[in-house]
Amino acid sequence: MKLSTLIPEDCSKAAVLFNSKKRILQYISELAQPKIPNANQHEILEALLNREKLGSTGIGKGIAIPHGRLAGLDHIIAILLVNQQPIPFDAVDDRNVDIFVALIVPEGENKQHLETLASIAGKLNDKHFCKRLRQASNDCELHQVLVEFDK
Amino acid sequence: MSQQYQGVFLIKNKLGLHARAATILAQLSAQFDADITLYQGDKSAPGDSVLALLLLESSQGKEVKVTCTGPDAHNAFIAIGNLIEDKFHETE
Repeated sequence: MKLSTLIPEDCSKAAVLFNSKKRILQYISELAQPKIPNANQHEILEALLNREKLGSTGIGKGIAIPHGRLAGLDHIIAILLVNQQPIPFDAVDDRNVDIFVALIVPEGENKQHLETLASIAGKLNDKHFCKRLRQASNDCELHQVLVEFDK
Repeated sequence: MSQQYQGVFLIKNKLGLHARAATILAQLSAQFDADITLYQGDKSAPGDSVLALLLLESSQGKEVKVTCTGPDAHNAFIAIGNLIEDKFHETE
């Protein structure tokens, strides 16, 4: 799966500046809502917050993959945010987080969800890729990093 | 003395080794003085790396091999085996 297709350019946001988990998740809901006409921003935020309550999606190395499931969705919505500064996110390694790959996933798509997670993990496991994401100074540049590493 | 334990476990939970399950496994792995590795097919992952565990893409019905080496290997092996058998504390 190509990350540059999964995450369109209007869902790639470089050098954003938020200072809390809640604000980041609110911004993700704001970006996701136009892609999900059947749900309002509040419902999307609730799905993300409910998942965080089960345990942080901060998976280590400054990376988090906030996600939530929504009924009635027919495809995955993915959003990439790179925050200017790492913020506390209760991550598994206690490190603050600055790279966020958020997913809004259709209910019941378990196998496809694992495939998507594996594609994302494969890229994020590459230190050089993460460095390039952190260096991107605007949205277009950030999306170009995805395109480049998809080749 | 270093000891090694290994065994194969069936992924029983409906969601497979998804992000939350992988995080719980990584947190558990980090508690032991042992090198823990999970294998599925030709892929392997250190037990304490969520990213690497997600790359295994282990869905319900897949078998994963777990190997534990080091002073705490036995306890680590038992704990990880129990976690997988217990569906990562999930209900289905």
